[in-house]
Amino acid sequence: MMAADTPSGSTTAAGSTDRFEDVDWDDLGGLGLPLRTGLLVAVSAIYALVVTTDVFLTEGSVLSGTDWLFVLTLLVGAFFVAWPLAENRRLTAYYWRRFKKNRAAVVSAIYLLVVFTVGTVGPWLIAKPELNVIAAYQPPVFVSVDSSVPSACAGAVADGMCHGTWKYPLGTTSEGKGIAKLVVFGMRVSMQVGLITMLIVISIGTVVGTSAAYFGDLVDEVLMRYVDIQQTFPTFFLFLIVTYLFKPSLFLLITIFGFLGWGGIARLVRSEALQRREEEYIRAAENAGASDGWIIRKHLMPNVSNTVITAATLLIPSFILFEATFAFLGLTDPATPSWGQVIASGRGDLDSAWWIATIPGVFLFCTVLAFNFVGDALRDALDPRSEGDA
Amino acid sequence: MSDTAPLLSVRDLRVQFNTDEGVVRAVDGISFDVAPGETVCVVGESGSGKTVACESITKLIPMPPGEIAGGEVRFDGDDLTDASEKQLQSIRGDRIAHIFQDPQGALNPVYPVGAQIAEAVRLHSDVSKAAARDRAIDLLDRVGIPEATNRVDDYPHEFSGGMKQRVVIAMALAADPDLLIADEPTTALDVTIQSQILNLLRDLQDEFGMSIIFVTHNLGVVAEVADRVVVMYAGKVMETGSVHDVFERPSHPYTKSLLECLPGIGRSMEPIGGSLPDLTAPPEGCRFHPRCPHATADCRSGSHPELLEAASDHRAACVYYGPGYDVSAIRGDGEAETRATDGGRDDSHDSHGDSR
Amino acid sequence: MSMLWYVSRRVAWAVIATYLILSLTFGLLVVAPGDGQTAFAFKAATQGGNVDDAKETFDEITGRDEPMLTRYKNYMVNMATLEWGWSYTRNQPVLTAISEAYPYSLMYALPATLISIVLGYAIGLYSATHQYTLTDYFGTFTAFFGISIPNFWFGIMLILVFAVDLGWLPSYYQTGKGVWTLANAKQLILPIIVLSTGAIAGNMRYSRAEALEYVHADFVKTARAKGADDWRVLVRHIFRPALVPLMTILVADILGLLFAGAYITEVVFQIPGLGLLSYKAIVQQDTALVMATTLIPVFIAIVGNLLQDIAYTVLDPRIDYGGR
Repeated sequence: MMAADTPSGSTTAAGSTDRFEDVDWDDLGGLGLPLRTGLLVAVSAIYALVVTTDVFLTEGSVLSGTDWLFVLTLLVGAFFVAWPLAENRRLTAYYWRRFKKNRAAVVSAIYLLVVFTVGTVGPWLIAKPELNVIAAYQPPVFVSVDSSVPSACAGAVADGMCHGTWKYPLGTTSEGKGIAKLVVFGMRVSMQVGLITMLIVISIGTVVGTSAAYFGDLVDEVLMRYVDIQQTFPTFFLFLIVTYLFKPSLFLLITIFGFLGWGGIARLVRSEALQRREEEYIRAAENAGASDGWIIRKHLMPNVSNTVITAATLLIPSFILFEATFAFLGLTDPATPSWGQVIASGRGDLDSAWWIATIPGVFLFCTVLAFNFVGDALRDALDPRSEGDA
Repeated sequence: MSDTAPLLSVRDLRVQFNTDEGVVRAVDGISFDVAPGETVCVVGESGSGKTVACESITKLIPMPPGEIAGGEVRFDGDDLTDASEKQLQSIRGDRIAHIFQDPQGALNPVYPVGAQIAEAVRLHSDVSKAAARDRAIDLLDRVGIPEATNRVDDYPHEFSGGMKQRVVIAMALAADPDLLIADEPTTALDVTIQSQILNLLRDLQDEFGMSIIFVTHNLGVVAEVADRVVVMYAGKVMETGSVHDVFERPSHPYTKSLLECLPGIGRSMEPIGGSLPDLTAPPEGCRFHPRCPHATADCRSGSHPELLEAASDHRAACVYYGPGYDVSAIRGDGEAETRATDGGRDDSHDSHGDSR
Repeated sequence: MSMLWYVSRRVAWAVIATYLILSLTFGLLVVAPGDGQTAFAFKAATQGGNVDDAKETFDEITGRDEPMLTRYKNYMVNMATLEWGWSYTRNQPVLTAISEAYPYSLMYALPATLISIVLGYAIGLYSATHQYTLTDYFGTFTAFFGISIPNFWFGIMLILVFAVDLGWLPSYYQTGKGVWTLANAKQLILPIIVLSTGAIAGNMRYSRAEALEYVHADFVKTARAKGADDWRVLVRHIFRPALVPLMTILVADILGLLFAGAYITEVVFQIPGLGLLSYKAIVQQDTALVMATTLIPVFIAIVGNLLQDIAYTVLDPRIDYGGR
């Protein structure tokens, strides 16, 4: 996102010469990208060694495959997003000022932060919702329903109406599982789907796009042809087929959508990079003797990143919706609690226990809407070219 | 100066834009006249408001966020600021035509040029498609496009920059307008093409008998084409007069500084210190006072000075032309060379100045 | 390079893509465990038959007992000649099942597509040319709403309000009510609304964004300076050039959106179209039917992309046919 500061010709760490070519750029100016990447790689390597063997090679491990990916995503987010933002206060403040103009987006951002926190931390603190037939069909608090609906009303019964209680603030499902708990667990699922898939998509898309743009010719041709094929194939249906043929799971969903959904980002990155490649500062860097890798990493990527971030943020809602849709259709792992699943379970009881299908949907809708607002505001704040509204 | 009524008379025109950062007063009370058949050059730096002023004449500016906050624009007797959109649509193209700066974007890329010129014709006269097409070919020929009959069906991207500008000119003239407003038509072109286009415009003006408002920041072009000059700065008119008068005896410190910005043999270029004022919060008093070497206390307060008479038919908005000031401090004393055309001026221009 | 050459290249490309996808699905079929064999065996077991025999029969029927290359060849040939197999859950050829189902899909999908294209583009264009007005804000709001709301939940909510609570419309689709009848129309209203909402929103956003690029273009200013009225400017000078980039999203994305959306709509409203057919096939493990019904949208998408590319070159005179 931001390149490290690079002061012009001064003495090197060895303190010997003043020549421009001898300057060791990596040594100077803050925690430059290579050092940061190095740290990240080291940490993930340790993490991977310790945990992965456990996760993938043994049954019944502490973390599932998805959780492992989620932690990885959080780590990447911390290193590549939070850290640079903290380093470059002025730039961050500038972006924030522009972002702030969109009030809907600010509200959405706060909501998302809450959802993220609750979703990440919550499932560790509360127990997984369990089957409890006696408590089935409890209405949410402040709502009452005909007392014939629940098998045994947990709250007060008055005038033949069963009232909701704070024990089940959002009511229960037909299996007696508290909807509030399901909402919290669902938050985690949605967050995981959204963020992890976005990470995969950004990573692959950026690498492919920048390489295609920078190396051009055959590399470009081959890569873009492949992207063409990949883009033509609607991922929805491929996922249907795969889920049908293999055992469904959240991990599978994330992997498939991640590894097949990066085409759009790659194209975007490529076209951005192509435009930037012609700009003067790239020429200047080439003339100064920088290597291809250096130029890509230090000059191309940071300038392309703004567009990429916006595009990626706008992809998250579709991933979340896909997961919810498949959960609704019953094509995901039934053991993973998900908003779509709960909505599906409430479909048959619309006339009696309407809250089962409604409430998780409200959360789903709000979350997706929030991401869309934020993504839109990010685009206005980060992309200097989109000032075409005046 | 002519005795006939001016074709266009702008009085105290004020145009502003309502933006997130505040109200931008792009044009804050300008006045000038254009007589039939004459060429008036509106000069100024980027951001002086000259483009907005010209586009406001026919209300081409985007109307939110822009709005005409006051003043009048009298064209052949009618006030255009009061005109309805329908009335303006019949005037645009037919009586007042526009040429814009960048020919690259001025032509619709998905239609052939002939169709676009024909559109201009058919919008204002009831002729058949064939007749309009013939006129398009004729116009292309007039503006110097070789093999017009073959090229009339070509797309804009098949023309070079200079050729595109010629097409744009042809399109503007299609309905035989009385007034042509040309907004920096040669700025985006190479110098050699520039002079071709300028000559073309001059020939067409003689042939069609129209007035031209020529917006530019290039004083060399002004010297070449203008009969009269209007100097704008930060949304205000600083000086008006015949081109001869303004160049020989610049009467406003700003004009003088502009002329000194040009390179000349025997002396160095003098840049104007400081920068353009923020149009959401312009300075008190005279807009130019932060950069003016002659600014006095009067200049720094109150409102921007009115256009006062410096000489016959030569006005400047400077307090020095009011009572109590010694004008010789700022007014050129007649021996200032014409900086714009360093190799000496064409004598025929002098006669232009005299016959007005 | 002429247009014909370009078109034939694109067609050839589409054929290759189809071939690749078919091969891919075949590969997945081969690699996958179970896929109907288990269900078939289970059925046999519950009826007192021999499980192993049942599995063998299944393999024979589905041709799994033959060598790989033969299977591949058969598979490809069958696909090409529309021999798409037998649906054992419905006891009819797959092709018949499909032909019975697709009219129902068309009944709501066609109106929904038309509405979403016309309304979406119209509102988007209007918003772009009338920025900062109430209609613009309303349009933007609707767009956000449309793309954020989960289709299936929206459908359920509509059913809750209009069918369960208000009782104005039926809560699920029933066949046998004719095609052009009022009763049929009534039960199609909600599905059409659900399907078009997402599509309208998407269209609106795209067309507004594209039109905005052109609204402030110089040639639009030129057109106005020529004296063209607003309508003419909108259609000839904004919409027509904007059509070029709009085409790039029109066909492919709309199709994609529609198919995925149609799936949900049919499942929620119980409309016996292609989507529901496919869904039931998945649930009941009818592999042949699953393959066919999932691949159809894919092929349509490929064809759609092809048409879109061709249309793009026709619409934009600047495109050079040589190179991509």
